[in-house]
Amino acid sequence: MGETIVAIQNLKKSYGSKSVLDGVSLQVKQGEIIGYIGPNGAGKSTTIKIMLGIESDYTGEVQIFGQDISIGTIDYKKRIGYVPEIADLYDNLTGFEYLTFIGELYGLTPQTADHKAKNLMELFGIGEVYHSRISSYSKGMRQKLLIISSLLHNPDLLFFDEPLNGLDANSVMIFKEILTQLAQQGKTIFYSSHIMDVVEKISSRIILLNDGKIAADGTFDELKLQNMEGSLEQIFNELTGFKEHQDIGAKFVSIVGEM
Amino acid sequence: MKDYRTLKLLDLFEKLFTFLKVDYKIMRRILQVKLTMDGRRVPTIFSQNTNKKNKEHSNQYIKSLWIYVLFGLFTIPFIVMGDHYLFQMSLFYGVITFFIMTSMISDFSSVLLDVRDRNILYPKPVDRRTINTAKLIHIVIYLSFLTIALVGIPLIVGLFTKGVIFFIVTIVNVILLNLLIVALTALIYLFVLRFFDGEKLKDIINYVQIGLSLAILVGYQLLVRSFQFLDLTIQFEPAWWHVFVFPIWFGANTDTLMNGNYHSLNLLLTGLSVVVPLLSIWIYMKFNPTFENHLQKLTFQGKAKEKRRSHFGQSLLSVLCRTQEERTFYRFASLMMKNERDFKLKVYPTLGFSVVIPFLFILNDFREGISGLKESNSYLAIYFSLIMIPTIIVLLKYSGKYKGAWIYTIVPFSQLKPVFSGTFKAFLMKLYLPVYLLLSLIFIILFGIRILPDLVVVFLVACNYSVICFMILKKHIPFSQSFDEYNQNNNGVLLLGLASIVAVFAGLHYLSTFYIYGIYIYLIVAVFALAILWKVAFNVKWEQIYN
Repeated sequence: MGETIVAIQNLKKSYGSKSVLDGVSLQVKQGEIIGYIGPNGAGKSTTIKIMLGIESDYTGEVQIFGQDISIGTIDYKKRIGYVPEIADLYDNLTGFEYLTFIGELYGLTPQTADHKAKNLMELFGIGEVYHSRISSYSKGMRQKLLIISSLLHNPDLLFFDEPLNGLDANSVMIFKEILTQLAQQGKTIFYSSHIMDVVEKISSRIILLNDGKIAADGTFDELKLQNMEGSLEQIFNELTGFKEHQDIGAKFVSIVGEM
Repeated sequence: MKDYRTLKLLDLFEKLFTFLKVDYKIMRRILQVKLTMDGRRVPTIFSQNTNKKNKEHSNQYIKSLWIYVLFGLFTIPFIVMGDHYLFQMSLFYGVITFFIMTSMISDFSSVLLDVRDRNILYPKPVDRRTINTAKLIHIVIYLSFLTIALVGIPLIVGLFTKGVIFFIVTIVNVILLNLLIVALTALIYLFVLRFFDGEKLKDIINYVQIGLSLAILVGYQLLVRSFQFLDLTIQFEPAWWHVFVFPIWFGANTDTLMNGNYHSLNLLLTGLSVVVPLLSIWIYMKFNPTFENHLQKLTFQGKAKEKRRSHFGQSLLSVLCRTQEERTFYRFASLMMKNERDFKLKVYPTLGFSVVIPFLFILNDFREGISGLKESNSYLAIYFSLIMIPTIIVLLKYSGKYKGAWIYTIVPFSQLKPVFSGTFKAFLMKLYLPVYLLLSLIFIILFGIRILPDLVVVFLVACNYSVICFMILKKHIPFSQSFDEYNQNNNGVLLLGLASIVAVFAGLHYLSTFYIYGIYIYLIVAVFALAILWKVAFNVKWEQIYN
């Protein structure tokens, strides 16, 4: 424990004139589960995409496993798993075809990829659709497939962007257990979500992003002490300066009642 | 997953790819996945249950190539008819350019603009060079199929009639032309994406597809007739403006090499034909990262302007549709007809074709001079524009977004009448009326203002005819079926039968011209018929709806 896995220095990124990330700096140590939260459009997904090399054109320094990623190396990606927020899939392939393909891209043999994929699908309760087209999958099935595809190659660093999207309560429990056990094995997890209860429970450290800047960084207990609030949801509201929810809710309902 | 023959062929070049620092094994795997997906271009949930083993490996695209073989055949005369290469081969390359370019835009856009690659492949430990090469090879594979289908037979004919040198020159030219087209298309996309958002680009691609379909429909008719127009004695000398028309470059290099016309302009054009394609593909490679960056724009929408409903449109609508429900469906149907790209792709070429058909039939009259037209009855040819109506009415039930039709099942309305009458009015106003007005305008110019009453009758007949078609055809909820089914059930016989009704209407019209005021009597009858038909036609019950 203790090795620095991710080190970001003064990361800035903008689309045209619109600044998305405005000087983000953070360090992540091995075995941490980082709850990466923030309002819509705060720049969470952008940070993750930069770390994965999907987005380029940023300023600042991003080091993963001690390597600067801007020099064009791809080796570090072999040790990364990723569940994207909006899931693009080659959905006219079957689960089997897609997963073996992804496995092979990570350097697995087709046999190993097939074996692992099949067993993982069965454990997740979707073994029977292994040979069906992904286009016929339900939302929950797709999400499980994505989670499996991110873990096939036994990565050391995981990026989960809203990984619970569409999962039922039982699957969520399985997934949380998987996270805990992975972290115990020394895997580092970057977890981004809007469901505060889950983030509160599973994260060993919480980073809150607001307007492209880090607004809070620490364990849940530390954040509680600093903000005198009871739950992460309340801390979130507090730190993002949002207090009008009652007002807006009332107005909303009154417009619904208009005829 | 199948191991494709194309990929085995590619294996021969493994060393070359390794030399170019491409991870061949990974690239081959990506291509295998891509080809498998292409074979399944029309994925539906339904194909899950049915066991279509034989369908699995047949690529729809490969199947569609025969039409290009056919169009390729039409270029043979350009090759064999003489040795005025500058003229003949420029035409030849012009035709080839047209087909490759349009097909490039309509069929390869999905490859060139696939944003999924970015999100799926970029996070994986695969370097960009391999991903980009895979993309390029993917395009090259299909472009080769297309090019071989198009020029294969003409080339062999050329080999036997013009000799080996011609054969080799043409092969090299076709390859250069392909390079130029790929780079040009990509650069056009880059340009559009630079200034507009993805939706605009999708619209542009959509309209190119519509244009291509229409061009093929009309070209089919015209090509056969066009040979009588071809004038073999045409004088075609090199001119300075040829520098800007790239198919002519290739005609010029053939002329230079085959006829030994080494004058300076010819040499300049020959030079351009070699340098520009290579240069453009180099620029494309250079700009590829920028291109990939702009591709992101495809996923997010620019801020759209709010469209206000015009007052005129609103008051017209309240006259057209009596009830609120009918107005609702009129608006909905109009929007679907205007915005749904798959629907437009199927319907607009048919509409365009109905503008063209009448002229195909009065083409012969044209040659005898316009003066004869003024007195003739040839304007009845406008009835030919009606024969596309049944096809379009059948198409009204399809949509690319057919899954949205679940709203019909949860919305609380008891009657189906407003659904159908509203949609139908939208069809007449938004789809048929523009065609009719355009045709009427041209016909009035050709035949004079005297045919105005006849044209009014034609419109009323068209309305009557549409309603009759609706009554006879099976009834479906509008925009509720997948286009995949359209390709499967052929009700060709029924459509042919319906088309023959047009002949009856046209016959009646012809009869009416023998009597004074005959046309006005026809007009009044048509009005009453429409009023009655409209009352009964749309009383559709849920039980009559097919699913």
